[in-house]
Amino acid sequence: MSSAADPKLEAGVSAGVETERNRPPFSGTVELEPGAPSDAELMLGIQAEEPEALSQLYDRYNGIMKALILRVIHNDAEADDLLQEVFMEIWNQAKNFSAKKGKPLGWMVTLARRRAIDGLRKKQAYLRAEARLQIETEQQPGAWVENVTEKEIRSGDARLLMAKVIKSLPEAQQEAIELAFFQGMSQREIAANTNTPLGTVKTRLELGLKKIYDGLKELRDEF
Amino acid sequence: MNFEEFQNQARLYVIGALEPDELTEFEAARKEFGTKAEDFITECYALHEAFALSLRPAKSSAALKERLMSMVRERKQSQSESAGP
Repeated sequence: MSSAADPKLEAGVSAGVETERNRPPFSGTVELEPGAPSDAELMLGIQAEEPEALSQLYDRYNGIMKALILRVIHNDAEADDLLQEVFMEIWNQAKNFSAKKGKPLGWMVTLARRRAIDGLRKKQAYLRAEARLQIETEQQPGAWVENVTEKEIRSGDARLLMAKVIKSLPEAQQEAIELAFFQGMSQREIAANTNTPLGTVKTRLELGLKKIYDGLKELRDEF
Repeated sequence: MNFEEFQNQARLYVIGALEPDELTEFEAARKEFGTKAEDFITECYALHEAFALSLRPAKSSAALKERLMSMVRERKQSQSESAGP
């Protein structure tokens, strides 16, 4: 399943930001209206238990967070459930957030990714058990396998700069990063899943992540 | 481990891709390099943002936010009630 199958949404999101000419400066976060509170200010509001701050943070990031969750679990209804859990966790755990340790978005993505990967692992365990049962009863295997990996990192129209950096990597590096980041696989699991020597997987991950990291730094320096 | 090797490991660390044996070595180097190491790890978490921001935002169900905000308000109210006057 695509992580953004709604054409209306895609049109809405990409409007005004998808061309080279009118693209806003790279900031490493979403574009804010003038006078809008920063993410850090919203986090302070949430720490002070102001529901309105969470409401604004939700409006700002629910699309990105949902896309991230969907990228891992590939099921819209489950992604909505997890999205709700993630924002409740943001509310409940806000006191543990420290601006000294990074930006709010990084913290939120960490929470969302962890929950999504946990959800995926539970689902995979369930599905493996179900598949075993199906084999035992001589039924056709389920179609769940198609949801387990998605190899291509799509470029999001509204996030073209980030996507460009990632897409500039050789396919093998993209695949290794995709499996590590979005599927939560260890290097050994990636090696087993792709029939690649462990050392090669490690090199691909190291080179790919370094290129993305350097690309981000360049973009930041440029603007 | 020199600092360049530590940097390579740190990028793997933030996405949870270090193997257990590497993790032990990484934690030792992290201690050894101190603040410099912590600062670099913090920078590496930008990779998380990058991956998220590279995705096209997806639409959530309309009722989701309402449900979430209602849960948040209920929770806040129950907490303030249990805290008492």
